Amino acid sequence: MEKKYTILIVDDTEINRSLLADMLSSQYRILEASNGVEAIAMLERHHTDISLVLLDIVMPVIDGFEVLSAMNRSHWIESIPVITISAETSSTYIDRAYDLGATDYINRPFDEKTVQRRVKNTIMLYAKQKMLEDMVTEQILEKEKSNYLMVEILSNIVEFRNGESGLHVLHIRTITELLLRQLLQETDQYRLTPTQISLIVNASALHDIGKISIPEAILNKPGRLTAEEFEVMKGHSAIGAQILENSPSHREELVRIARDICRWHHERYDGRGYPDGLKGDEIPIAPQVVALADVYDALTSPRVYKSAFSHEKAMEMILGGECGAFSPLLLRCLTAVGPQLAEALSASSPDRLTRAEGQMLASQLLMGGQASNRTLALLEQERTKYRFFASMSKEIQFEYNLGTDILTLSEWGAQQLGLSELIAHPADSPELAAVFSRKDFDDLVERIRSATPASPVINVNYRLRIFGQDRWFKAVVRPLWVGEDHPSLTGCIGKFLDAHEEFEELATFRRLSMQDSLTKLRNHMSARKVIESALSHSDGRHYALLLFDLDHFKSANDRYGHLFGDEVLRDVAGKVLRSIRSDDVAARVGGDEFLIFMAYTIDQVEPLVRRIFTSLTGAYRDFPISLSMGVALAPEHGTDYETLFNRADQALYAAKKNGRNRYCLYDSSIRGYLSVLSPIDSDSDEAAGSPG
Amino acid sequence: MDLKACYAAMGADYEDVMRRLATEERVIKFLTRVPGDGSYDALRAALERKDYAEAFRAAHTIKGICLNLGLTTLLRSSSALADNLRQGAADEDTPALFQALERDYEAAMAAIRCLAGS
Repeated sequence: MEKKYTILIVDDTEINRSLLADMLSSQYRILEASNGVEAIAMLERHHTDISLVLLDIVMPVIDGFEVLSAMNRSHWIESIPVITISAETSSTYIDRAYDLGATDYINRPFDEKTVQRRVKNTIMLYAKQKMLEDMVTEQILEKEKSNYLMVEILSNIVEFRNGESGLHVLHIRTITELLLRQLLQETDQYRLTPTQISLIVNASALHDIGKISIPEAILNKPGRLTAEEFEVMKGHSAIGAQILENSPSHREELVRIARDICRWHHERYDGRGYPDGLKGDEIPIAPQVVALADVYDALTSPRVYKSAFSHEKAMEMILGGECGAFSPLLLRCLTAVGPQLAEALSASSPDRLTRAEGQMLASQLLMGGQASNRTLALLEQERTKYRFFASMSKEIQFEYNLGTDILTLSEWGAQQLGLSELIAHPADSPELAAVFSRKDFDDLVERIRSATPASPVINVNYRLRIFGQDRWFKAVVRPLWVGEDHPSLTGCIGKFLDAHEEFEELATFRRLSMQDSLTKLRNHMSARKVIESALSHSDGRHYALLLFDLDHFKSANDRYGHLFGDEVLRDVAGKVLRSIRSDDVAARVGGDEFLIFMAYTIDQVEPLVRRIFTSLTGAYRDFPISLSMGVALAPEHGTDYETLFNRADQALYAAKKNGRNRYCLYDSSIRGYLSVLSPIDSDSDEAAGSPG
Repeated sequence: MDLKACYAAMGADYEDVMRRLATEERVIKFLTRVPGDGSYDALRAALERKDYAEAFRAAHTIKGICLNLGLTTLLRSSSALADNLRQGAADEDTPALFQALERDYEAAMAAIRCLAGS
């Protein structure tokens, strides 16, 4: 069966879409989008399958021009042709569409033949180009693979004879690559492309190929070489170059670079190297880099004639000029990548073929801006996988693409939140703002912007408003970047987990921990906290601390039992709550002792205290309730909790001394009274304060 | 009423649409869907709430449909209104232009209904 090409028709008018579909559906598979947002979402999902877009320009929310811009930002425009269709014939419209990368322009009214012909021509043109691109990509991949294998085999032969482990070649590759990438950061004077870097890295493995011709007795001699032996040894660079020059593929760039590396990797920047005594940048950059890599690895690896030096020692020797002469620029690069070197070298393992392949694909993708279709197909597969798992997971997952400025929610997530699956321009979306407040949105954006690849995951809690109800969610968000050296943000992925029950439970625990279980008033500890905080932010306000206990409460317990006693306490607590304002603090301090803390305006304290005192006095069933109360004022009697509480306590003691059933305001004359809470005999017996 | 008579009644170009869309069957299929398209209602509502950007898009859509189907008379009035609203604002000509469009639209709808009924 012949493959049907897929066409995406984008038009906000249904009649227009179906008229086009009618003309094309016998020969093509048709996808329809009724606005720009849908169009971008479809492109995101199907762009590897779509062979052509027919695009209306005038549409609400996101118009055709914006769709074209999004296609530019995502580079889809490079592989998917767009024919714009409009009733507009003004040249500004047409020019702008062409400027944004549209391939062709059809005016209304269109006729069937024109539409069919233009569509066919455009698709054929692009299909051919795509096929060629695929073929070239495959060829390059194949070639790279076989190149790599050949290089690998050859260099292993050399190393085997050399009595070195296969690691040296891997190390040289790794160090060369690190240095070249750093070099690219420092300067563009060498015009290094990603392809060239990968060629130099491959070629670096061949640097010692000339050693094949060196007699083993010299090559593996443990002691010092004699002058004659050293001359023979030095021959290996010229011989290696000769071998490659004689190879039938000497015109290949890889072989040419390898030849340069072989011949000149023992030259010195100061011109005192061999075989040609080249000086400075007469030595091509590839051999310069490999020479440095070779020296570093030789120093840090054990050899028959020496043990391994540490990274630090090796750096010191190289930078100190003890082991050759290198360009200051390269030495800067070495210093910069120094910390990565040791780590990278311990990680290079002999199964690098697939990794190298992956890295090549990745570097194509990241540096070139254009990915091969094969790569795109792989990516598409990953995305399909991701979406499949997302749809099964029953989680509120989302994905945001900075290029298209579209937020995509998982189907289930969108349902849970009552939102559309696709939200264009989320920062300005009232729909989103109704669920996720602007303030929280800005907060999340800020967190995403300040995240770094070193610690990418953001964990934060937000309250969402879902169908009119607030619920707490835990958000886990990960920004996405491209580029290793200068990462640039491309979007983010993440999920929201409903943590409402968990939060509620925590809140309940917190409340319970502050509450007196019998009366549901605050307990002493939590009251103290609130009061301390009020006192330290008093801003000149006046406060009264009222401390009281029930007269003859013990007899209630004795006569009617503890359950009855508890009922009395609950009754009093209820009266306390009814007689204070919501800002006031009421707590059970312990036993039958209670505390009230309230703000008052000056001169009003007496009536206030009297009112509370009166409203609490009375009876529970047959049990008469009267109380003794001590009152201390802030700031007059103290400005910290400890002092204030002690003075209220002393006033309470005075009230008791004076015959109970009364309140007593602290004043300096009762300072001598000792606490009812810490009843130690007092030597002063004088009552003070006036009962009300 | 047959398609040719219907086109004559609307002041539309039968020859042109047949040349472009090839079969009467297809023209009828799409022509009878025009009354169901919401653009005219959208245009009226947008003008009432003075949303001229939306009104422009609606007039523009009507214009596009007329172009596709060769509805010459309605095309003329919808193009005029679309051009009038293009800058997203109305002027003293707008009400008259809309009235003209309204008249042509009703005439076209009447003819299409006759066609559908025949």
